[in-house]
Amino acid sequence: MTLEEILSVRPESGQPRTYTFPHFTRTVLPSGMQVLVVEIPGRPLVTANLIVRRGVCDEPAELAGATALMARAMTEGTERYPGVELIEAAERLGATLGVDANWDSFFASVDVAASRLPAAIALLAELVEHPTFPEADVARLREERLNDLLQVKADPRRRVDQAFTSAIYAAGSPYGRPAGGDETTVAGLTPDGLRQVHRTILDPGRTALIVGGDLTTAEVLRAVGAPDGLTSETANLPADPTVTAPPVAPGVDRPIVRLYHRPGSVQSEVRMGHVGLPRRTPDFYAVQVMAAILGGLFNSRLQMNLREDKGYTYGVGAGFDMRRGAGPFSVRTAVQTSVTVPAIAEALKELSRMRETLVTDAELVAARDFMVGVFPLRFETPGAVVGAVGGLFAGGLPDDELARYRDRIEAVTAEDVRKAAVDHIRPDRMAIVVVGDAEAVAKDLEAAEFGEFEAIREEAAG
Amino acid sequence: MTAPRVRFTDERLANGLRLIVAEDHLAPVVAVNVWYGVGSKHEVEGKTGFAHLFEHVMFQGSGHVGKAEHMALVQAAGGTLNGTTWLDRTNFFETMPSHQLELALWLEADRMATLLDALNQENLDNQREVVKNEKRSSYDNRPYGQAFNKLQALLFPPDHPYHHPTIGSMEDLDAASLEDVSAFFRTYYAPDNAVLAIAGDADAAQARAWVEHYFLKIPAHGHIPQLGDLTLPLTLGGEKREIVEDRVPLPRHYIGFRAPSFGDPRLDAMDVASQILAGGKGSRLYRRLVRDERIAQDVGFFALGFISGSSIAAGQVTVRPGVDTDLVERVFEEELDRLTREPVTEDELARARALIETYELEALQRVEERAERLAMYATLLDDPEMINRQLSRYLSVTAAQIQAVAADVLRPDNRAVVTYLPATGDVASDTDEETAA
Repeated sequence: MTLEEILSVRPESGQPRTYTFPHFTRTVLPSGMQVLVVEIPGRPLVTANLIVRRGVCDEPAELAGATALMARAMTEGTERYPGVELIEAAERLGATLGVDANWDSFFASVDVAASRLPAAIALLAELVEHPTFPEADVARLREERLNDLLQVKADPRRRVDQAFTSAIYAAGSPYGRPAGGDETTVAGLTPDGLRQVHRTILDPGRTALIVGGDLTTAEVLRAVGAPDGLTSETANLPADPTVTAPPVAPGVDRPIVRLYHRPGSVQSEVRMGHVGLPRRTPDFYAVQVMAAILGGLFNSRLQMNLREDKGYTYGVGAGFDMRRGAGPFSVRTAVQTSVTVPAIAEALKELSRMRETLVTDAELVAARDFMVGVFPLRFETPGAVVGAVGGLFAGGLPDDELARYRDRIEAVTAEDVRKAAVDHIRPDRMAIVVVGDAEAVAKDLEAAEFGEFEAIREEAAG
Repeated sequence: MTAPRVRFTDERLANGLRLIVAEDHLAPVVAVNVWYGVGSKHEVEGKTGFAHLFEHVMFQGSGHVGKAEHMALVQAAGGTLNGTTWLDRTNFFETMPSHQLELALWLEADRMATLLDALNQENLDNQREVVKNEKRSSYDNRPYGQAFNKLQALLFPPDHPYHHPTIGSMEDLDAASLEDVSAFFRTYYAPDNAVLAIAGDADAAQARAWVEHYFLKIPAHGHIPQLGDLTLPLTLGGEKREIVEDRVPLPRHYIGFRAPSFGDPRLDAMDVASQILAGGKGSRLYRRLVRDERIAQDVGFFALGFISGSSIAAGQVTVRPGVDTDLVERVFEEELDRLTREPVTEDELARARALIETYELEALQRVEERAERLAMYATLLDDPEMINRQLSRYLSVTAAQIQAVAADVLRPDNRAVVTYLPATGDVASDTDEETAA
């Protein structure tokens, strides 16, 4: 055979190896805290994640930023390990402590050799139960956050993200605030404020320790000092009805355009969208397939148009950030200044097309095949598996949600996709937020009449 | 915990293609990683940014694959893919469900053999615009975005090919022609300038049979041009400085040094030193500048290994508002200097080793990283077995070796400093493009 003959024959796919998302066990400790264990043979480096179903969205508005700051401050010293001794103790185990909070939950996690798991879990328990929140360290972390907010203003990507979320949510909706708090609330945070939030996360009924790697449930239970005789079951609970969503209201009831002036910008950072959906939306799978075709795949409609056809951008994406409550739907891109208006027009055209016509069979099959096929790739390591189980716990989702994922994706039809687009993409309340050079784009952007136009010319700090 | 040994085969096909296969069946996933021995150091004056632009062209179709079809086929098979360009090399990779390995191999073979059949002006122009937007987005429109490029330019003389950045200049990108692209492909994208690594859930014999089938008849180049002598003195021979006024709220220093080449055991010691200096909240720089004296917002230190001249060891420190910018640099440099004067403590070394061990094991869990490292060590050091030696090399680094490499590297006459200061009044983006827009 010649080289030409060889290469002109496309290979056939082989037989897929069976893959199922790993089962995990659930053991409820006497305190009410759950221990979830995923046994993954051949993975000597294990991940342990202590997760509490109380997140940034649960904090009072006047303490905005307290949950994130509390998480940062927890590694600044505990009753048993003052100052940096906690960090040093973790480092001696080869363990980096990841302590943070997102909208839905607080978590403290560690990657460590299976043999050192008991010691690592003891450190996690110590920092979660007995942090001291030293005055001086809290003050330093508070200043670091305030300095970071200065950096946000100077970085067009971070600035547009913040401007976008504050535009689409009504005042009082937690998702409209920066997760780390703003200049006003952060400046008022004290050790007592952190202690107030800390008390709310010490709630075993809302807490799970999730461990994945090459060890057994019995070994994990020994590592946490669980009493003998507890029952461990393969997890198979349905959705948890006690998990509630925070109150969320849209701040926009019509199309709007907000342009933030950043003199001399060579690109416009663009965000377009509106309040989206909570994770437990009934048509979740149809929405996922729709969002993949629109702006999730590398060759999504938006990418093929704005990048591969027009060359307007290095990349464009779109999707729903789903949380316990309705997170944002957004189209995200940065385009060279001179094509700001045509790029937005093309993106709007793609949003409408998604609503107006059925996706082709080829598009549908390609998206479903990707999501089904890439599923095992997403869960190659214990860290990824533990993260996914943590997402189930945080969202109150059924234990078999991931085991059923691929069948659910396979069942999505072109009509489901269009219905998801019609129901959840809302041109009538599209907020278009741009950070760019107003001298170069304001006139055309206003004239394009994408929505009620407002230019904000206050200069960023620095 | 002992690191699992990566077992692999290593051979050269008759056309010069180096094939490395590491079989394991932990997950139903397989990684393909192709490294070409060409990077931005092979670019000549007036043609900077070319290796990277070419990397983009490699996704625009080939003899039997249409524009954007490479991505479409990999995605529909449930795979992920990308490519990267760096000073010494360019690579392309796919991670696939294991039953789709043959597809990835065919795609890589087709573009290695027949890229030019699909090349046209329209695709080149389109990707030129995409790359210019990548430059705007990753460098020109980003606070501190040009810092590393500036450091690189200070650390390497103008006649050395590490002097210019991988992304290139707008002018050179504009000038790239179809003829340039074709010549570049014919010169460097040949099997005898490539390493193909496969790692994960594959049958090694079957994988080898597929590679022979698809690649063996791709002709060798035979005489891949070699670059001349690019060696450099280990030290810069005098401090270099640049001050940049930019749209940044906080001043920041980037402090870089020439360092021993990739593969030199002294660079291992430099990596361990970087961990002790700035690897997390227990590190020296973090503790002194951020935690104790509270003069810095953040700190960092790392080493980047290169093979033609010298590597780079570099750090950065962001100055807190109201703090004297010079003071922060002085304290940062005092900590570097302390490393040259006294050995690190046993406890610091033990903590650094334990963390490095975890990081290495974490990285090697993934088939993509195993394929990447096998191809990297084969391409840059002609030694893929380094994948199994790197961790023990790190763990055997001594306090004396750290002190010795610090004394060689972290010296004032080997130092380049780029200082960003908040501009007073409006400044344009830091770009080399005509901004008439």
